Amino acid sequence: MTEAAFSLSLAILALAAIAAVMAGGRARLWRAGRPAKVDWMRGLMALPKRYLVDVHHVVGRDPYAARMHALAAGGLLGGSALALLALLPPLGGSRLFWALVALAFAVALAGGFMVGRRRYPERPARLSGGKFQRLPFLLAAYAGGAFLVALDAALAGSVWPLAWPGLWLAAAGGLGLAMQLDRGPMRHAFAGALHLVAHPRAARFEGRRETALAPLNLEAPRLGVATPADFAWNRLAGFDACIQCGRCEVACPAFAAGQPLNPKRLIQDLATSMVPGATNVAYAGSPYPHAREVAGIGGPDLPIVGAGAMIHPDTLWSCTTCRACVEECPMMIEHVDAIVALRRFQTLELGALPEKAAAPLAELRYADEPQGRPLAARTDFAAGLDLPLISARAGAEVLLWLGEGAYDLRYGRTLRALVRLLHLAGVDFAVLGEEERDCGDIARRLGDEATFQRLARANIATLARHSFRRILTPDPHALHVLRNEYPALGGIYEVVHHSAFLDELVAEGRLGVAPLKASVTYHDPCYLGRYNGEIDAPRRLLDRLGLARLEMERSGRRSMCCGGGGGAPLSDIEGERRIPDIRMDQAAQTGAGIVAVACPQCTAMLEGVTGTRPEVRDIAELVLEAVEAMPARAREPAT
Amino acid sequence: MSRLRRDPRSERSRHRVEGAARPRFDLAAAPSGLHGRARRDPRAEFRLAQVPGTARLRLDRTQRVAALDLAPAARAPEPQAGPRLVAIPEPAFLVAAVPDAPGGRLTPHDRQLLGAARLLADAGGGAVLVLAGAPADELARAGADRVLALPVTGYDPEARAMALQAVLAGLDIRHVLLPESPEGGDLARRLAALTGEPLFAGAESLTARAVTRPAAGRRTEQRMVPPRLLTLAADAAAAHAGTLHEALEVAFAFPPLPPGAILSADDVPADPSRVPLAEADFVVSAGNGITDFASFHDLVEALHATPGASRVVCDAGLMPRAAQVGASGTVLEARCYFALGIAGAPQHLQGVARCEHVVAVNTDLHAAMIERAGLAVVADAQKVMPALLSLLAEKAADAETHDAGAGESEAEAVDA
Amino acid sequence: MREPMNVAVLLSAGHHPVSGRACPVPVEMQAIGLGNALGAEMTGLHAGPASETIADALGHGLARLVHLKIGEADDPLASLIAALGTEKSALVLAGRVGQGGEDSGLLPYALARALGLPVVPDASALREGPEPSTLLVEQALPRGARRRLMVRLPALVTVHPAAPAPLPFAYAARRRGVVEERAGIASPRGERAIEERAYRPRPKLIAKSAAGASAAERLKAATEAASGGGRVLVDPPPEEAAREILAHLRDIGVLRG
Repeated sequence: MTEAAFSLSLAILALAAIAAVMAGGRARLWRAGRPAKVDWMRGLMALPKRYLVDVHHVVGRDPYAARMHALAAGGLLGGSALALLALLPPLGGSRLFWALVALAFAVALAGGFMVGRRRYPERPARLSGGKFQRLPFLLAAYAGGAFLVALDAALAGSVWPLAWPGLWLAAAGGLGLAMQLDRGPMRHAFAGALHLVAHPRAARFEGRRETALAPLNLEAPRLGVATPADFAWNRLAGFDACIQCGRCEVACPAFAAGQPLNPKRLIQDLATSMVPGATNVAYAGSPYPHAREVAGIGGPDLPIVGAGAMIHPDTLWSCTTCRACVEECPMMIEHVDAIVALRRFQTLELGALPEKAAAPLAELRYADEPQGRPLAARTDFAAGLDLPLISARAGAEVLLWLGEGAYDLRYGRTLRALVRLLHLAGVDFAVLGEEERDCGDIARRLGDEATFQRLARANIATLARHSFRRILTPDPHALHVLRNEYPALGGIYEVVHHSAFLDELVAEGRLGVAPLKASVTYHDPCYLGRYNGEIDAPRRLLDRLGLARLEMERSGRRSMCCGGGGGAPLSDIEGERRIPDIRMDQAAQTGAGIVAVACPQCTAMLEGVTGTRPEVRDIAELVLEAVEAMPARAREPAT
Repeated sequence: MSRLRRDPRSERSRHRVEGAARPRFDLAAAPSGLHGRARRDPRAEFRLAQVPGTARLRLDRTQRVAALDLAPAARAPEPQAGPRLVAIPEPAFLVAAVPDAPGGRLTPHDRQLLGAARLLADAGGGAVLVLAGAPADELARAGADRVLALPVTGYDPEARAMALQAVLAGLDIRHVLLPESPEGGDLARRLAALTGEPLFAGAESLTARAVTRPAAGRRTEQRMVPPRLLTLAADAAAAHAGTLHEALEVAFAFPPLPPGAILSADDVPADPSRVPLAEADFVVSAGNGITDFASFHDLVEALHATPGASRVVCDAGLMPRAAQVGASGTVLEARCYFALGIAGAPQHLQGVARCEHVVAVNTDLHAAMIERAGLAVVADAQKVMPALLSLLAEKAADAETHDAGAGESEAEAVDA
Repeated sequence: MREPMNVAVLLSAGHHPVSGRACPVPVEMQAIGLGNALGAEMTGLHAGPASETIADALGHGLARLVHLKIGEADDPLASLIAALGTEKSALVLAGRVGQGGEDSGLLPYALARALGLPVVPDASALREGPEPSTLLVEQALPRGARRRLMVRLPALVTVHPAAPAPLPFAYAARRRGVVEERAGIASPRGERAIEERAYRPRPKLIAKSAAGASAAERLKAATEAASGGGRVLVDPPPEEAAREILAHLRDIGVLRG
């Protein structure tokens, strides 16, 4: 081993110690957070799989970034670990081993160059500047320097004039990287690893779509999150895991519409505010569009939201809870959970809701319906149709949950189509009628957990009085709440969306369909696709109808929101464009004549788009059209 | 478009020769006149209602344009005799009505109040006493027999209530009626608190024998013989029509009234740009025919109006949702509605149903809004807007130079 | 800096117009908002049988609530007079028409009479007056007009729905708020010769539609202007149209100058 190589190993050891101190300092900040239940053993065991499979599945959507990260991170960690191992005499003496070290650092150097090429000469808008712009130089210095030292050691000291400058270069670069561990880009490495181990939604890594919001204990001394210290510690670690890649801001519908929300900036503001005496001046990414003025100061026990704090309330209320940012985040950060936790404090403790959102919540409290309409009027859409009431019979195979859309004139058309299809297929179904209250989705997303839990308990009690095998609903928001959020309150049901149910009926031959001649593009509702992973059944069903199906650029789990979720239409934060206009443009670009929808919110939002545009049709309406296109005799279900 | 329904029996009887013992008919003679109901010809009506020049069938049932040329000249309206004057020299009792009469003019609600008072008075030979100042002919037409103005100026409702109490004590008054309006309702309750008499508030139906009102959150209905003190909800009784009344001034010596607790009162006129649409007095509204919203806003400001919009415009995000007029938006109470480029869907017209005056500019002659309007201009609103703006600017400039001129002449006068 | 004013807000037992469930009366929640805007020391006052929802007012920015317990058939007036006699409030705020009783809106006036307070109706904003114990009241008039009044305190002010929207309900604030239960004064309501039965909505009077007219004519009467059909100008030059419109607007008196 050359002297320079030995010095390199020692330097890396020293750097590792510095890094550990820096990281420990950062980790101490998380201890301000509330305790969280973490299955450490399971998390640690699962870390390699979570990192290599789940994380890289997301990272791999951008192949350049995936290669870049594999080279840089792999080379850096591998090279540094090997160089440390070289302190063991038998390995350190081996020239072959040093050749291996040199190879690892060469790989890291290549990664460093890729990082640089991405950021220079021109940095894409979604990437942050500032310290991040220095990252490729530090990487190159550390990897390049270490490479030279290792090369010299592998060649038995024959290129020693290169080795010493290399050592200094590596030491300087490495020191730069280690110092960045506290507040700079490298923080994501250890915070990210810990976040993967102690992730608050561990089931995400086991193939389940864990998207339900956790119930809030309404007896707690403080409801929701006011200060960083109110977050659980693993959430704080999660915010620190952010590498500011900006994939979330590209996916965010509110950001695209010019509303003052940028998920990346939000997470950065949260991460910054946990430091005592924090200010937001160091942030160097894209701002909140049309950002409202805030003081930009914070601390672990200072409020996060407010004009005198870190995040403006308008930012909070711009979110449609579509989870597009969560879906895109390679660090598995849970943005929507954070937003809802902050909203809960605003709503429950301060009553600081957007003006227009207060009235629907008041109506929900006293009339169980966000517009204050009579519950009995929910079935008015079915005038002239036979709509059996479950209370008037012993029970039914299928309980049809109508949801909020039943009051809407346009959506009544969809529901009438669905009811007719159910009759045609001979399905044994019934509705709750007057007994159906609002499912509580809007209340919960707006942070009014008290109203949500009251509605949920009342609905669970109602459902317990009736006998049925499963619940059918055309409303993905109701579906999500009934299927995923009621279980925590004791209501466990089999819930099926009408797209999947109609697909079943057509597949079983209970509905005969004639092929339709039209081109269609399917808009995935967030609460069906992303929240529940149901992206195949609606497509299968459209294919069964013989429609020429065109896909929008953003579809499936990566689909874009219509702007109708999370109470966003109620809070109505001003932006530049309307989200449904953007989505409709994307639909029009496919050239399809019809946008197929499967959600009352999407229907309402997309129908509100003016000008020449594809027609908006619910899947049920399309199926009914196909059924009616069949000759009458062939339509009879096979008995 | 309509011909007369024939009634052969009456036609024949019109040819009967008078005076003969046996019925005799002279069919050759001209009949004394056509009688009977006009007979409708649905086909002809349909033909006339068709709007020419459109590809799909469009019907304009209002017949505004077509009827102008084709109205049968034969049926001239009967000359209307002036309303009969009814005098009640010695009334059995008095029914007092206390209208709001803002600015000395009766509101529609006030007329209804007088109609209700008339009803109660006529049932027992009483007379209607109006306790407010208003032009005598207006009061006479509205059904007032006697008039007595309350000696209160400015805003002092407590003094008004005391004056009313004095009148109640001094005259033989069987009923006192007030409108259930902000001002009338307030006065009625003050009077009830002063006299300790029960108040029947917000009557929704009224006959000489029974009045009803909603109670307990509109879940129960109270019903009784008309009491002494009651307030009448809007649109609950018909205004008086048909006869003229005397509207005689009554002399009454009011006791001196003590000063109230209100130290000062200033009226602040509404700021049209900030008034909620539901409360606005003058609304200028944009529809699909408007593309230049900058000019529209300029126009709204120049007219000192409140901006409104149709649903389509709000859906497109061109105007805020709060500006939407119609059944699903705001139902207006405005005095005047100026619709620019709005065709007038039924839901939209419901929103302007209570507006007294409507002015419309639209390219389509057969649009419902044109029919609804008191002044309708069939033209492109986009072209009318700049003309309006320049005319308003001209007027404003005129007024300014005039003011400046007046100032100068004053200055000259001082110099002289 | 003056001492914070002592303000009492009368709360009635409201009902939701659609669901019929117990619910705070919006205008009384707006009254709480007006009192808070004055920086006043606020007390809610309710006389009636026990109810869960009365305490919901605590969620709208009220810190303390006094509940005077009386029976279903008792008149709240006596209890309120007694309670306000001890509270020494400089200002009493109330909705224009309280709910839960006859909905006649007489209670604030009777209360004011008994306590010797002047009544100012329909406040949409309140400010402290220029002199001590005076209050500036902005009174809402129809059509968005306002009237500024200065009154000497103590006074009873009723609140108009045009007042600023109430603070949104905050669950935790309701949880924190204090309800003081006191016994009220039993004073059964006097008997009146009033017959009561289930409410039946009555058709509003529609002017001009004769009985037996066709549906189209009734619709026309309902949507048509009181002045009836007007003038139609077909394709006039824009300048002429503008002149006509402005002249018409001036005639009907909406345009001044």
